[in-house]
Amino acid sequence: MVKAKTANGPRRRGGHRATKLAPRGSLHSGDNFLGLVFTAPAMIGLVIFVAIPILLTLWVSFRDWNGFVSPFDSSYVGLDNYNELLFKPGIRQTDFARSIRNNFYYVVGVVPIQTVLSLVIAVILNQKFLKGKSFFRTAYYFPSITSSIAVTLIFIFMFQSQGAINAVLPFDNINWLNNANGMIHNVLGVFGVDQAPGWAKSVEFMGLSLWEWMAGPSVAMFAIMMLVTWTTTGTMMLIFLAGLQSISPSVEEAATVDGASSFQRFRYVIVPMMRPTIYFVVTLGLIGTWQVFDQIYATNFGGPRKTTITPAFWIYFQSFRNSEAGLAAAIAILLFVIIMFFAFLQRRVNTSKGVT
Amino acid sequence: MKRLKWAFLLIALALVAAACGGSATTTTTTSGTSAPTEGGDTTSSVAPAMALDGVDLKLWGWSSSEAENTALSDLVGQFNTATGANAEFQPQADYDVALQSAMASGAPPDVFYIDSFKLADLADAGVLAPVPTGALSSPDDIYPSLREAFTFNGTWYCPPKDFSTLALVYDPEALQAAGVDVPTTWEELATAAAALTTGTTAEIAAGDAQAGLAMGVEYPRWGSFLFQAGAALTDEAVTKITLDTPGATDALQFIADQYQAGYFISPADVDAGWAGEAFGQAKSAMTIEGNWIIGYLQDTFPDRNFAVAELPAGPAGKGTFAFTVCYGVAADAPNPDASWAFVEYLTNPEGSLAWTNAFNVMPARASVSNDWIGSHPDLEAFVAGADYAKRWGFIPGFGDVIGVFNDNAAGLVDGSVTVAELIAAVTGAGNDVIDG
Repeated sequence: MVKAKTANGPRRRGGHRATKLAPRGSLHSGDNFLGLVFTAPAMIGLVIFVAIPILLTLWVSFRDWNGFVSPFDSSYVGLDNYNELLFKPGIRQTDFARSIRNNFYYVVGVVPIQTVLSLVIAVILNQKFLKGKSFFRTAYYFPSITSSIAVTLIFIFMFQSQGAINAVLPFDNINWLNNANGMIHNVLGVFGVDQAPGWAKSVEFMGLSLWEWMAGPSVAMFAIMMLVTWTTTGTMMLIFLAGLQSISPSVEEAATVDGASSFQRFRYVIVPMMRPTIYFVVTLGLIGTWQVFDQIYATNFGGPRKTTITPAFWIYFQSFRNSEAGLAAAIAILLFVIIMFFAFLQRRVNTSKGVT
Repeated sequence: MKRLKWAFLLIALALVAAACGGSATTTTTTSGTSAPTEGGDTTSSVAPAMALDGVDLKLWGWSSSEAENTALSDLVGQFNTATGANAEFQPQADYDVALQSAMASGAPPDVFYIDSFKLADLADAGVLAPVPTGALSSPDDIYPSLREAFTFNGTWYCPPKDFSTLALVYDPEALQAAGVDVPTTWEELATAAAALTTGTTAEIAAGDAQAGLAMGVEYPRWGSFLFQAGAALTDEAVTKITLDTPGATDALQFIADQYQAGYFISPADVDAGWAGEAFGQAKSAMTIEGNWIIGYLQDTFPDRNFAVAELPAGPAGKGTFAFTVCYGVAADAPNPDASWAFVEYLTNPEGSLAWTNAFNVMPARASVSNDWIGSHPDLEAFVAGADYAKRWGFIPGFGDVIGVFNDNAAGLVDGSVTVAELIAAVTGAGNDVIDG
């Protein structure tokens, strides 16, 4: 606002000021009208396919809708669906808590790893001296454009107890996809803690004991996390590459002249300059990982022992397998709230580091 | 800016209004058509010489195999030739989703498959038309347990297309080699499974050994053991969970012991998608599956030798599940009389025999079961199960309870859950659903 001293200041910020300076506003209202006309096709599409469905989902989440009749014939149940998911002890609450727990560990595992990995790969592939760059770029991007179901089926074969992964690993064969043990439990087991300590078993939240909350992703979920990291790293790498190419080579050269080592250039020059891109990639990653569905559906359909159910999968299951579309809508709204929460949290963290 | 906001608001409002208006109209037409349907059903039965000429009829189902699709399309073609109708079988890729969206949008197919497990959900939603009096020839000929499977709150909704029961499928050579007879009791089953098991789970997964019996860790298989012990998950009318009985405890403990000893295996533990695959790959000498395994073994493992016997009897006698699918007609079907005439053609004694003769599923009518056995002599054990089979179906929303059972069953197999804990968890979840 300080910069916008004249009426010709950046329109993005000065819209309000501009109308003040030109009280009749005829010129600008004409702009508005034209703008509206030009954006109308996209806006109408957004309203019909995004805004109305979101509002309808919100509306349906307050109703007992079985999904077979028109939603307008369903009955109003107030906050019952939310109550069953969040507060009322019972199977619905426990299952929802499980889906949140599973997905939380999934996000915490996948997002940092895919972000770091893709940034490192992008920086390597952005080196001038590297030969066969386009081959590597294609190779790393390829998983992202392959059908997720096809990739998942290949991974199912690889993770079988007689599969390729076990053939390479030096341990006894692990039945990855049918193993419901939590990874944190497994690690604790190595240190001799294979039973829940009393305090962890007695404290309960949303129907799950603290011990169950801290189970970590199950071995099956861990396998899915590896699969997803492998597929999405390519997409994120592409975004980082685009970001890296917008950094002028002179900046890096200047750092080199100042005597920065290659690691210092990466840590103190590239990473700070890439912060907006990192913010974007992490946001994209957060949203994508909280909505994981295809891989869950194809790998194990939520099993073993419900350790791979996620809110997105549970929406599908409740809506189409259990004919509880109202409950499914409530899960969808809660998932939306969770994603918004993490996106804002992320934004907060990043803004404090100087990204706007 | 203000004007712009108003414009958006107006457009949004207009669209919302349009959307609501549209749906409201659909709703009224829906109830408008369904009312006369109900009236028509009770007063007039479907006349055989009804004019079906040129009537379009859509039959929706899921696709099990190419051969099955062709056979059903052939039968539908015969109906068209006989009546002049334009009926067509349209298999749907994601059936539950496709049917649910079609129903919710008020444009259901004329006739569609309904799994017995799903019937309660659909009937409770009020989207199904009951079977009109006189629409089907000799309905009493249909096995009562199968009619029961498609009856909800005393109303019979649809005639079964065919049915399957669970039976013991075994490799006769393996049994002979191990020197055991075909088991007919739990004790014999346990002895046979132990004698037939030749290695550890890892060896079995690698294909170097075989287990006694491969069985999915899920209620639709384990439930048959409950029946054999005189127990059941719920009472007949599904008003309460009845799992907390000595019979159920014995049955679950018996199964758990077999898995923990390595005599029974879960197909997932030996890299098989289901028990039929594990048996086909010779990773087990026996399995408990339904009629569908026969065609699968013949197609996928043509060299695998097998025979079928009734499930071993438990302390309370024999018990098995009947799995069945029916042809349903929607409450707001555009052409109810033609739809029911079509269903009658597909399910009358001739139609059901023509359909099941080509396959390994069984006709739902007692009058033609001997004809079927004549053409499938080696599958008689499946038919024998029809006499004592229990239905696979509960009340709306019961999928959650089955989920809890399967979850805890997996825990029982790996030793992290006890029988008492399983019973407590399932009883709690079941009563939640029943009371809720």
